[in-house]
Amino acid sequence: MIVFATTGNFRLDKKANNGDLVVECAKRVEVACHLVRAPLLEPCRVKPSIQGQPDTSRTVRKGYRMNQGRMGLLVAAALLAVPATASAQKPGKGAKPPAGATDKPADKADEKKPEDKPAGGADAKPADAPAADAPAADAPKGEDPSAGGICDLDPSQCPQVDFDAAASKPIPAQMYAVQQLYALRVRRVEVNPYWSFSLNDQFVSHPAPGMAINYYVTNVLAVGVNGTWYRPFGSNLNQDSAFNAQTRRAARVGVPLTEYDWSAALNFTYVPVYGKFAGFGDFIFHYDAYIVGGLGMLSNRPIAVIDPDNRTFDSKAHLAFNAGLGLRIFFNRWFAAVGEVRNYVFQDQLEATTIARDKAATDKATWYGDKPITVNVQAQVGLAIFLPFSWEYRLPK
Amino acid sequence: MMRRILTVALPTAALLGFSSQASAQENQLTGPLAGAPAVRGLRLHRKQRFEIAPAVSFTLLDEYQRHILLGARLTYNVTDWLGLGAWGAFGAVKQTTGLSDRIQDANDQRFNPRSPNFTTGQESTGRTLVRANIGKDFKQQLATINWIFSPQITAVPFRGKLSLFQKIFVDTDAYFFAGPAFVNLRERADCGGSSGVDCAAREGSGPDPGNVRPAATKATASRMAIAPTFGLGLSFYTGQWTSFGLEWRALMYSANTGGFDIAGGGEGGRFPDGKVDKSDREFKFNQMITVSFGMQFPRTIKQSD
Repeated sequence: MIVFATTGNFRLDKKANNGDLVVECAKRVEVACHLVRAPLLEPCRVKPSIQGQPDTSRTVRKGYRMNQGRMGLLVAAALLAVPATASAQKPGKGAKPPAGATDKPADKADEKKPEDKPAGGADAKPADAPAADAPAADAPKGEDPSAGGICDLDPSQCPQVDFDAAASKPIPAQMYAVQQLYALRVRRVEVNPYWSFSLNDQFVSHPAPGMAINYYVTNVLAVGVNGTWYRPFGSNLNQDSAFNAQTRRAARVGVPLTEYDWSAALNFTYVPVYGKFAGFGDFIFHYDAYIVGGLGMLSNRPIAVIDPDNRTFDSKAHLAFNAGLGLRIFFNRWFAAVGEVRNYVFQDQLEATTIARDKAATDKATWYGDKPITVNVQAQVGLAIFLPFSWEYRLPK
Repeated sequence: MMRRILTVALPTAALLGFSSQASAQENQLTGPLAGAPAVRGLRLHRKQRFEIAPAVSFTLLDEYQRHILLGARLTYNVTDWLGLGAWGAFGAVKQTTGLSDRIQDANDQRFNPRSPNFTTGQESTGRTLVRANIGKDFKQQLATINWIFSPQITAVPFRGKLSLFQKIFVDTDAYFFAGPAFVNLRERADCGGSSGVDCAAREGSGPDPGNVRPAATKATASRMAIAPTFGLGLSFYTGQWTSFGLEWRALMYSANTGGFDIAGGGEGGRFPDGKVDKSDREFKFNQMITVSFGMQFPRTIKQSD
């Protein structure tokens, strides 16, 4: 009877090679071959190997013969048994290759690690010893004795491991605060519809819909465009605050006001911050924070406040710089909520606070006044959709 | 022949079974995470700890006057996600906006005999119209926050960490708070109507035949406004017992921020009525940003399982 124990995915091939049964294990297979009074007609050869490492084939027993049908049954039974055995093993133990997979002889490996010696002292025997002794030499370190298999069949062959000593061994694993980026951005396009509203203009608020499209050149750097439309489809979303009129009436002081038409910009986005939050101690959601900045145009025009009878202003586009901060909270790997604060800085053109006398009042040249630098701070709240929806990680988690 | 069939059929069946088993195995590898807590070994920065956080608050979107408030927040966190406490602050710095300065300048010019427009009919009318609304020192009639006290409940639903350039890691939580706020305001005192106070009283005494004397600085009075307050914030824990905080707060109350007579008369009370009273107060969504430095006691920190 052949018993296999494994901790990883593998492939078994049965080859009739000079009458021998050859079992090839593709990767990370820990093999224990134990023969219990089976009338094998052909020698059983077990060939565990790890990809990229030399094979260490060993003949485990000679002198027994078995017909092809029984071999097939045994192999089939073994194949059925293997995955179940693998599933039952604790994660992580399979990461250690079997002793037989190394270049070192099994006995040497065991000499260096006496705590891993199985009971019975079978490790002293040479590698080509009979199968009855081989499992002890090849038994994987840290194998759970309660896992069944060998221990049930022959308790004397059951490996004995000092789990406290094994647990106390330092693990030189490099740990990252965030093991793997939840949502890779590289070579993906972000479509970000948003709604913006002004944060620092108590005179005229500028709510508007907008859209940003960014292409991530790397995971942390994107280039893109965004546009905001303050007067969509002939409507005007700019809102002149009531207190402007009250102030004009109460204090007889007019404040020049402007309303926005549209803005568009070419932007660069850098994502230096990312992490994860636990919500209510129950679920994890991921987020990132980014810096965005760019250059574009902003079109606006003065609202005729000082002399509305004569003045009607056309929109003018101004060169506008922008810089901002944003926070993106992922609902899944391609869908996120985005909140952003963006400063748009441009040289404004205000209405003149004085009125020219007589016919000069209708001269457009007299309508314009100061050209201050205006800082328009906008909050932008929206959604982000990353395309394509899926991707493959370069490395496993 | 039968043996050959079996030899082929059984391994084939085994391989088919192997595939399904492999899938199941993959599921089982992630299985131990099912039912496990979302976070292990969580540093409990809040649970059963007091927090004292000196704070500076800056008001936003002010029309006539900005405030910088100095204060502190005291919170006892019953659990890591629930805290009870209070925030209090007083208006330490009051700075007029550009609009207020502009109004002050215009008023000064209006009553300045050396101004080129002083003698025009327009300015004379202006002097008459604004006397009820603007005193000689406009800044003195603006509504200001004396102090605010707010008992509040804090919920901390989100807890995590922040990575900056993969070099700096900071424990962070996001919280919400709400409660009633007691806002002590100082704003223009009532005048006109039954109050017996002349809203347009001029500086000095006696008649003003030339219509040249500005209005006297308007009197103000304090009152208490009770307002709901709420907001949200972030705490960045820099150590076992220290943190930085950033929060946004909204306070909703009515005030006559400019000290003007703007309402109470005409259709729907939307026009001036010659009086300054509570009808001239406007409801406003007052906002502020607060920066704080928190200290948690006891200074030792616990961890979750």
